[in-house]
Amino acid sequence: MKTFEEKWTAWVDDQLTGDELAKFEASLPDKAAAEAEKRAAKKLGALLNRELKMQTLHNADFFSHQLREQIDREERLGSPGSSGGGTSFWWPVRRLAWAGAASLAIFMAIAVFVMRQQPTAESQYLTQIKNARLDQANGADATISIFEAKEDRVTVLWTEGLKSLPSEYAAK
Amino acid sequence: MVRAVVLWSAALALILSAPAANAAHLVWSGLIIAQNEAQPKPVPEELAAYEETLKELFGYNQFEVIGQSRKTLATGQEDWLAKSKYFALKVDARGEDDAGYDLNLQLFQDQELLLETNTRLSESSPLVIKGPQVGGGQLLLVLLVDDEMKSSGKHHRGHKSSSRIENAWRRITRMFKG
Repeated sequence: MKTFEEKWTAWVDDQLTGDELAKFEASLPDKAAAEAEKRAAKKLGALLNRELKMQTLHNADFFSHQLREQIDREERLGSPGSSGGGTSFWWPVRRLAWAGAASLAIFMAIAVFVMRQQPTAESQYLTQIKNARLDQANGADATISIFEAKEDRVTVLWTEGLKSLPSEYAAK
Repeated sequence: MVRAVVLWSAALALILSAPAANAAHLVWSGLIIAQNEAQPKPVPEELAAYEETLKELFGYNQFEVIGQSRKTLATGQEDWLAKSKYFALKVDARGEDDAGYDLNLQLFQDQELLLETNTRLSESSPLVIKGPQVGGGQLLLVLLVDDEMKSSGKHHRGHKSSSRIENAWRRITRMFKG
């Protein structure tokens, strides 16, 4: 059983005949409007046929060859063991390796630069003595003084007046 | 771009975290008897770098170690003792910062406190304390940070190159830290 749309398309294309044609035309509510629509559709069909004729390819072999090449390339890229797949896999690793090498080079340059600096620049700090006290029982007049031997950056806490001890105190 | 930022951040973090792994320092503490001898013994290797300064300061030609201690400071809160038969140097570390270690030093003669001082010991600056006269000589206390002994595992000043690399590394980390 054909639908109305199928019958309509067949009617527009003059495919309906005999009893079927008569029944369909009788079922149309406004035959004049339908005829006008049919004419417009045929006119449009003729226009499209005229204007959109298939263009003839003058270099069909070359076009076909190009197409095959393109398909082959895409197939190679798509296959898992292909060189194209390898490129996409190794690309981040290569970039990482380059970044590492660049970082190392920068570090080496800075290290060489810093190592060339004078040893005196090693540290700006000298040992500091905040406070000091002597046991008065070991020398009532004992004194303390603090100074620095700048050449070797030695900080000295110098005591005077402590009780002298016998040489046996030098034992290990 | 984001990946590059992440990469550089990771590199920077690595650089900044390295000092933490390398933060431990070895502190050498020595009780020294300085005296003049006709045939002086060689100066202890820990003091070799400061031999001339010590001779000039104290006027002795021999510096003999009668007691010593090597302590690796990891937290800066350690304490230790360097002792001889009659003397003991008690060192109590009370923290550290860029300027060095805060140390409390107490020199005991037998059980008796002779001297007490609070110092900030810097990495590149030894501390020398002149103690009492002992016989014809002088008791000296020396404290110094000696990472070469720690890194080489030997007690001598041989590998200057490794020290230079370590120093360079410290300078770089300081540059990043500001």
